[in-house]
Amino acid sequence: MFIRIEPSSSSPIYRQIMDQIRRQVAAGMLKPGDKVPSVRQLAGQLAVNQNTILKVYNELCREHVLEVDRGNGTIVAQGNSTLSMSDRKKTVAALLREAAVQAIHMGIPPEQTHALLEREYQAILAEKKRSPHHE
Amino acid sequence: MSETAISITDLHFAYGRHKILDGVNLDVPQGSVFGFLGRNGAGKTTAIQLLLGLLAPQSGRCSVGGHDPQTDAVAVRRAVGYVAEDQRMYDWMRVEQILKWTSSFYPTWDHAYAQQLLRQFDLPPKGKIKTLSKGQNTRLALLLALAHRPRIVILDDPTLGLDPIARKEFLRSVITLLQAQGTTVFFSSHLLYEIEPVADWVAILDRGRIVKAAPTDELRDTIRRFVLRPKASMDLSKIPGVLDVARQDGQWNVTVETAGAETRAALSAAAGDDVEELGLNLDEIFEAYVIGNRGREVAPC
Repeated sequence: MFIRIEPSSSSPIYRQIMDQIRRQVAAGMLKPGDKVPSVRQLAGQLAVNQNTILKVYNELCREHVLEVDRGNGTIVAQGNSTLSMSDRKKTVAALLREAAVQAIHMGIPPEQTHALLEREYQAILAEKKRSPHHE
Repeated sequence: MSETAISITDLHFAYGRHKILDGVNLDVPQGSVFGFLGRNGAGKTTAIQLLLGLLAPQSGRCSVGGHDPQTDAVAVRRAVGYVAEDQRMYDWMRVEQILKWTSSFYPTWDHAYAQQLLRQFDLPPKGKIKTLSKGQNTRLALLLALAHRPRIVILDDPTLGLDPIARKEFLRSVITLLQAQGTTVFFSSHLLYEIEPVADWVAILDRGRIVKAAPTDELRDTIRRFVLRPKASMDLSKIPGVLDVARQDGQWNVTVETAGAETRAALSAAAGDDVEELGLNLDEIFEAYVIGNRGREVAPC
């Protein structure tokens, strides 16, 4: 798992790591059942506080991106079926609300905001198709 | 609130009339990695020397691992592993000699652990200290501070003078060696981006006072900058939580500590909808606290 921390970014380190893992799962670079490094391993590799990694894993488990496989560490979750559709929609709605607030602050009209979302969605799907099937 | 490893209460220190620490208050939670930040001359080293009982404060008190460094300096030194800024060691000694010599001061010295660290830090046991490189020197100083298995480790700008790779290796060993054991690590630096990945907590010392102490995650989550053009004459310093106000070409950059509903309402009142909200990077956050004017010096327009 390759993660890069950008010190000059304005988003906190835990969010940078979380976003990169989430993205790698969405794009199929990490597949369901794949093992992710242990908290200690990843903390050592990135030279990042263990509590930060723990926070990332806990949050991603809560979102059912990762899950704890007893005795085997943390793995990429087997599908997102554990959440009901209405709960999943609620989670996405909360994130989109933030995006909408930003769009309003930055003066981007609704149709252009829709177009931006569509473009990002398609970009990730395209990436998923292209991603090589690693074992 | 968890137990505190180090607590500092209303600490004052001055060299003659030159005030160095002007009422410092700080609590370091047990088991945390705590980054102590400040510019050169902010008082970081003085504060650390007071924690170790190397200096006596004019007033106030501190407690390190439950001991008062003023009355019980020996107990403090036994509980603490300390690496001074630019640590000097007897440079005519060989590495193995200084290990033996230092071990005699500490009843809890762990010889096996010292040998393990010696290999891990890639230090030559027979090498004379004066022949060691800067990086080896720092690692040796760290080894001497850790081999008695202290509960608290105090590091005064430990990465000063190391190259970027050596710095990262150093921080990595702090994390893997100490954090796993639940040791409290208190370390000073003037580089926020260096502290951020490793520290649970950050405190910023400026002109002898703590201007901010917060969990590291919180810093970038809560501090916001708003870019706006005020409609009418307005005293932005009245807005709660303002750290810095800067004017540029009729635009105002207002940096706030926590952008709550009250702050947003006040900013909207000043500029209507024309408010742009930005997150800040670490350099900007540090700057806002250390050279931020907290809205004071800007005349209302």
